[in-house]
Amino acid sequence: MEVSFSKEVEMLRLGAGDTFHGEGILAITKGLLQSGVAYVGGYQGAPVSHLLDVMVQGKAYMDELGVHVEACSNEASAAAMLGASIHYPLRGAVTWKSIVGTNVAADALSNLSSPGVTGGVLIVVGEDYGEGASVIQERTHAYALKSSMCLLDPRPDLGVMVRMVEEGFRLSESSNMPCLMELRIRTCHVRGSFECKDNMAPAISTRALMTEPAGFDYMRLAHPPVTFRHEKLKGDERIPAARRYIVEHGLNELIPGRRHADLGIVVQGGLYNALIRSLQQQGLADAFGETDIPILVLNVTYPLVPEQVADFCVGKRAVLVVEEGQPEYIEQDIATLLRRRDIQTPLHGKDMLPSAGEYGVEVLSGGIGTFAAKYIEASEASSSAQAWLAGNRERREAVARSLSAPLPNRPPSFCIGCPERPVFSALKLAQQQTGPVHIAADIGCHAFGTFEPFSMGHSILGYGMSLASRAGVAPMMNRRTLSIMGDGGFWHNGLLTGVQSALFNGDDAVLLIFKNGYTSATGTQDIISTPDDEIKERAVDKQQSLVDKNQTIEDTLKGLGVKWMRTVTTYDVERMRKTLTEALTSDFNGLKVVIAEGECQLERQRRIKPWIAGLLKKGERVVRVKYGVDEDVCNGDHACIRLSGCPTLTLKDNPDSLKVDPVATVIDGCVGCGLCGANAHAATLCPSFYRAEVVQNPKWHERLLHGLRGAVVRALQPA
Amino acid sequence: MEQNRPLTLLVCALGGEGGGVLTEWLVDIARHAGYAAQSTSIPGVAQRTGATTYYLEVFPVPLAQLGGKRPVFSLSPVPGALDAIVSSELLETARQIGNGMSAPLRTLVISSSARIFTTAERMEPGDGRADAQRLLDVVKAFSREHHVFDMNAIARDSGTVVSAVMLGAIAGSGLLPFPREAYEHVVRGGDTSAPDKLGKMAAASLRGFAAAFDAVSAPRAQAAFVSSVLAGDTSDAPPPASALPADLARRFPPAVHDMLTLGHARVLDYQDAAYAALYAERLGRVLDAERAADPAGAHGFAITREAARWLALWMAFDDIVRVAALKGRASRAQRVRQEVRAGDEDIVKVYDHFKPGAAEFAALLPPSLSRRVTAWDRGRQARGLAPWALPLKVGSHSVFGMASLRLLASLRWLRRRGSRFAEEQALIERWLAAVEAGTREAWALGHELALCGRLIKGYGSTNERGKDNLLHVTDHLAAQPGVAPADRALAVAAARTAALADDAGKALDAALVEHGAPARPIKAQPIRWMKRKPTGGA
Repeated sequence: MEVSFSKEVEMLRLGAGDTFHGEGILAITKGLLQSGVAYVGGYQGAPVSHLLDVMVQGKAYMDELGVHVEACSNEASAAAMLGASIHYPLRGAVTWKSIVGTNVAADALSNLSSPGVTGGVLIVVGEDYGEGASVIQERTHAYALKSSMCLLDPRPDLGVMVRMVEEGFRLSESSNMPCLMELRIRTCHVRGSFECKDNMAPAISTRALMTEPAGFDYMRLAHPPVTFRHEKLKGDERIPAARRYIVEHGLNELIPGRRHADLGIVVQGGLYNALIRSLQQQGLADAFGETDIPILVLNVTYPLVPEQVADFCVGKRAVLVVEEGQPEYIEQDIATLLRRRDIQTPLHGKDMLPSAGEYGVEVLSGGIGTFAAKYIEASEASSSAQAWLAGNRERREAVARSLSAPLPNRPPSFCIGCPERPVFSALKLAQQQTGPVHIAADIGCHAFGTFEPFSMGHSILGYGMSLASRAGVAPMMNRRTLSIMGDGGFWHNGLLTGVQSALFNGDDAVLLIFKNGYTSATGTQDIISTPDDEIKERAVDKQQSLVDKNQTIEDTLKGLGVKWMRTVTTYDVERMRKTLTEALTSDFNGLKVVIAEGECQLERQRRIKPWIAGLLKKGERVVRVKYGVDEDVCNGDHACIRLSGCPTLTLKDNPDSLKVDPVATVIDGCVGCGLCGANAHAATLCPSFYRAEVVQNPKWHERLLHGLRGAVVRALQPA
Repeated sequence: MEQNRPLTLLVCALGGEGGGVLTEWLVDIARHAGYAAQSTSIPGVAQRTGATTYYLEVFPVPLAQLGGKRPVFSLSPVPGALDAIVSSELLETARQIGNGMSAPLRTLVISSSARIFTTAERMEPGDGRADAQRLLDVVKAFSREHHVFDMNAIARDSGTVVSAVMLGAIAGSGLLPFPREAYEHVVRGGDTSAPDKLGKMAAASLRGFAAAFDAVSAPRAQAAFVSSVLAGDTSDAPPPASALPADLARRFPPAVHDMLTLGHARVLDYQDAAYAALYAERLGRVLDAERAADPAGAHGFAITREAARWLALWMAFDDIVRVAALKGRASRAQRVRQEVRAGDEDIVKVYDHFKPGAAEFAALLPPSLSRRVTAWDRGRQARGLAPWALPLKVGSHSVFGMASLRLLASLRWLRRRGSRFAEEQALIERWLAAVEAGTREAWALGHELALCGRLIKGYGSTNERGKDNLLHVTDHLAAQPGVAPADRALAVAAARTAALADDAGKALDAALVEHGAPARPIKAQPIRWMKRKPTGGA
C-alpha cells in the first residue's frame, strides 16, 4: 500500500478516557470496533479506502479482538459476505465507493434485505458526489428505498458519526434491516476529535467459534414463496420497528428556532454544517449553531418517521427541505405524508434549490435567501447576504474578463515514471500505422489516458467492463477495436464479464491488460497477482519491476483457453507498438491478449527510496538515472511532450535569444524510467535527449578508468 | 479581529505536495494551543499531480473562553468569505480567485510565483504557456493583501517539500492566533532538541519554514525578492554576444543591431565567413524593401529585425553535423553535470539518443547520390517497411563516443556540398522573396510574412511539416489576387497562429479555407490495413 497507517492503527487501540484526533473515516473505523463488529469487508475506493486499509494493516490487533477482515475481490463479494448476519448474531460491516460499488453489490443487497438480518449490518458507503467526485452523479438513496434498507446520513461531527455507527448496528438488529451509512467526500476527510469508548471484542469471533450451524429455516432464503412474506414483513414490521427505534433513541435531532418558530427546515444530517453556515451568512444563525429557524436534522434519511415530520411541520407557515441530488426522494416522501394527513403547510425544496450538484454554502445561501425573502421581513442581514452573493458573481465575471482565455484544466495524470504512460505512447504511434481504432476504456489509473496528451478512449461502462463493452461495436466495425483493462479491473469483474464471454462467443477481440501488480488508483492495494512480499525481500536489485514474478493472470488466461497472448515490458515503446499493431492486424481471429507488464512506480519508489538511502549511508555504490534535454538542440516543437505528458518533462524559457518558443526540460523528480529515450527512438524525435547515469560512491577501478577516459575526452572537446 | 466567526483558510496544492500533512500540522497546532479547528480536503481528485484544495477553519477565541459552546465549522470553503488563500502554484491561485474565492476587502493571498505547467500548456507546438503577468494581475486586483514568491525555490534550496514552506508563509502572515514557536514545535514533530541535533528531514522543513516566514513577515525584503523573481533569473542569461562588424553596423539601423549581432554570430559559427556574408546580403535586401515601404522607420525596422532572427535560424538549420558539434562541447558536459545535480565525486555517464534516418545521411551527399538513397528508402516504405533509421545510444562520456561526435562535427565542409544545403537555400530565397514582395506592397503584409519564419524549426518530419506549411502560406495567402494587402496580412497571421496550434494541422487547414486558400494537400502515409470481413454476409 502506498501509505503506511502504523500511527492510525495505534489510534484504533484507544479506550475510554482517551480522545481521538484524526480523520472522519478513521473515526468510523474506531466506531466499528467500539460496536463489537465481528467481521469487516469491502472493496477499496475513495473516499473510504482508508477504512479497510487501516484494518488490513492492523491485522495483528484485529486478531487480538477476534475480528475477521476480508479484502474482497469486489463489492458483490463484500455484500454477499453480509449473509453471515442473516442467521447469526454477528455484527458485520462492509465498505465501498458509491454509487458504483452499490451498483455492483445490488444483487446481494436485495437478497440480504429480503430475508433480513439477525446480527446488525452496517454498509459504509463513500457518497462520491460533488466536487472531487470520480463517478456518475447518482444517489445511493434509491437503493435504500427499493431494498428497504435504513439509510444513515450523520451530521459531520466525529462524535455524532461514531454514535451513529453504534446506533446503526442496534437499529439494524431491532428492525432486521441492513443499514447503509452514506459519508460524503469531505466528511470522510474531515479532521476532528471525539471521546473514545473501549473497543468491544465480539462474543462470537475468530477466537470464539460457533460450534454448530443454524438449523434449516426456509424463511431465511431469498426464494419464493417466502419472498412474498418478506415483502409484507418489510412494510408491516421492519420499517415500523425502525421508526420506533429512531424516535425512541433520538437519532434525528430537533433544533429549536430562536425567532421564527413558525418556519422550519428539514435537512439531511450530512448537510447540517453547510446549512448552519448559510444561515449565518443570512444573519439567521450564529457561529455555534444557534438558529432563528427550527431545524429537523435527519441523521436517518430513510425511513422517515411520519409522526416526527408531521409534528415538525404542522402549524408552520412553511417548511424547506434541504436535500442534495436528484430525484428529491425525501421531499416527495414528506409531501405525501403531509397530504395524507391533510396538513396544509407549504413545502419547499427543489423549487428553491438546484436539482443537480453539491450543496455548498453559496448554493444553499441562494435557496435560503429565496425562502427567507418569501417568509421573513427583509433585514440588513439579508441585504448583506444578497450583496455578498452578487459580489461573487460580479467578481467571477471580472476575473474571466481580465484573463484573456479560460485557464487550462489540471486533471490528475500518470505518476512520474508510471509504467502505463509508455503504453499510450506506443498506442498513439501504433494508430499512425493501423489508422485510428475504437478504444473501449475502463476504470483505473489507465483512465488517465483519456486526458491530454493522449485523449484516448471512446467509452467507459464500468470497472472491468471494457472488453464486454466492445461486444456490440466490434462486429459492426471495419477495423478491430481495442479494450483496455487494468489488473484491478480484470480481477474485479473483467475476467468473467469480458474474457469468458469473448472466448465463449469466439469473438475477434483485442484486450490490453495493464499488469502493474496492484489496484493502484485506489491507493495500491494488493490483489491476487501482486508480487509476494518474500520476492520483494529477496530481490537483489530493488529497482526492478517484479510483477513478472506473479503469473496468475497468464495462468488464468491460458487455463480459460486464450491462444494468442503476448507479454511486453511497457517501457519498450517500440516493441509495444509492434505488438499492438500485430494484435490489431493479425490473421488470428479469436481473442488476442497483450499483457503490458511494469510494476506500479509508486510501489517501486516506496521500495527503492529506503534501499538507496541505506546503501548511501553505508557508502556503497549507487547508480541514479536521470534524463535530460539539451536546450540548444531542442527544437521547441514539444512533440516529446505530446507523446509522454510526464510531469517532469516540462518547459522552460528558451536560453537562445534568437528563438522564441520555450524548450523542453526534464526537472528534478525524474526517476529515470527511460520513456524519454524510448520515445525518442520509437517516434524518431529530435536528438536532444540524453540519459545520464550518476554513479555515487564509485569503486576505485571505476574511478581510475573514468579519470583516464575523462582526460582523453576533454582533450577532444572544444570549449 | 471579529470574535463571532471562524478564521477561514483555503490551501491550494497539487497532488503529492504534502497538503494533507500541512492541514494535519495546522489542526494539531490549533489543538495544542487550545483552539477549536477543523480541516477538510478532497484529495481523491488530486491523485497524481492534479489540482486539489484543503480547507481549514479556526475559531479565534480559545475553547476555554467559549463557555462550553462549540463552533459549527463549514466543510467547504465559502466564496467571498475567506480570510486567506495560500497556494503553491500561480495558475491554481488564479483559478481559485476566478472561482470567486478571494474577496478584495477581506482575503490575504499568499502564492508561489512558480508555475508548474499543465499538460495542455506543455503540449502545444509553439508557446502554450498561460501569461504569468495576467495571473499576477489577477492576484493583485482581487486580494486585500498579497505576497508572491517562489515557494518551490525555497523548498528546493532548503531541501524540503513545499508544504513546510506554505506553513512558514501562513505563520509569517499572522493570520492565525498562534506564536511562531507553536508552528515550529509541530514541524519538529515534538522534538525539542537543538537545530543541529534534529533529524535531517525536520531540520530541512524548519529551514523552509523559516525562509517563507521571513518572506511574508518582512515585506520589504520580500518585495525585493519578488522583483528579482519577476525580472527573471539572470544566471541563465546568455553570454554577451560578440561585437558586430563595423561594416554591418553602418549598413543596418541600430534598432536591429542586437538581433543582427546574434544572427550573424550564429551563421558564422554554423558554417564560415562566406556564409555569414550571404546572411548579411540577404538581410540587406529585406532592409531595402522595408526602407522603401517605411522610409521614416516608423515601425522601428521590425521586419528586418524579425527577418534577422528567423533568417539566421533557418540558415543555421539543424543537421547531424550541428547536433554533433553542440553535443561535443565541454560546456555541454558541464551543463549536464549541473542538470543532474552530480556531486564532485560522482561519475556521470551520458548516453545521447540519436536516430538518424536515410534523409539525414542523404542531406550530406551530393544531389545525385542523395536522390538514390532517398529513392531506396521510399522503395522500402512502398513495400510496407518502416523508413530506415539507425537508433543509436552514443556514450559521449566515452572516448569512442566523443571521437565519433567530433568526427561528425568536423564534416562541416561536407554540408555545403550536400543536397540539403542547396534545397534549404532555394526555400530560403522563396520565403525572402515573398517577404520582400509583401513588404513593398504593404508593410504589415511583409511583417506577417517575416514572422512566419517561426514555422521553420527542428529536424525530420517536424522540419518538413514546417516548411510545407510556410510555403503553403506564402504561395496561397501572400499573393491572393483581388484581396487587399491588409486582409492578406490578417490571413497570414491567422494561418501562422493556427499552424502552431496543433501538429496535425487541423487548425491550419481551417484557417486556410476560411481565408480563401485551399487546404494543404493530403500527404500519402502508409497504413497497415486490416479489414475485417462482415460476418453477416459470409
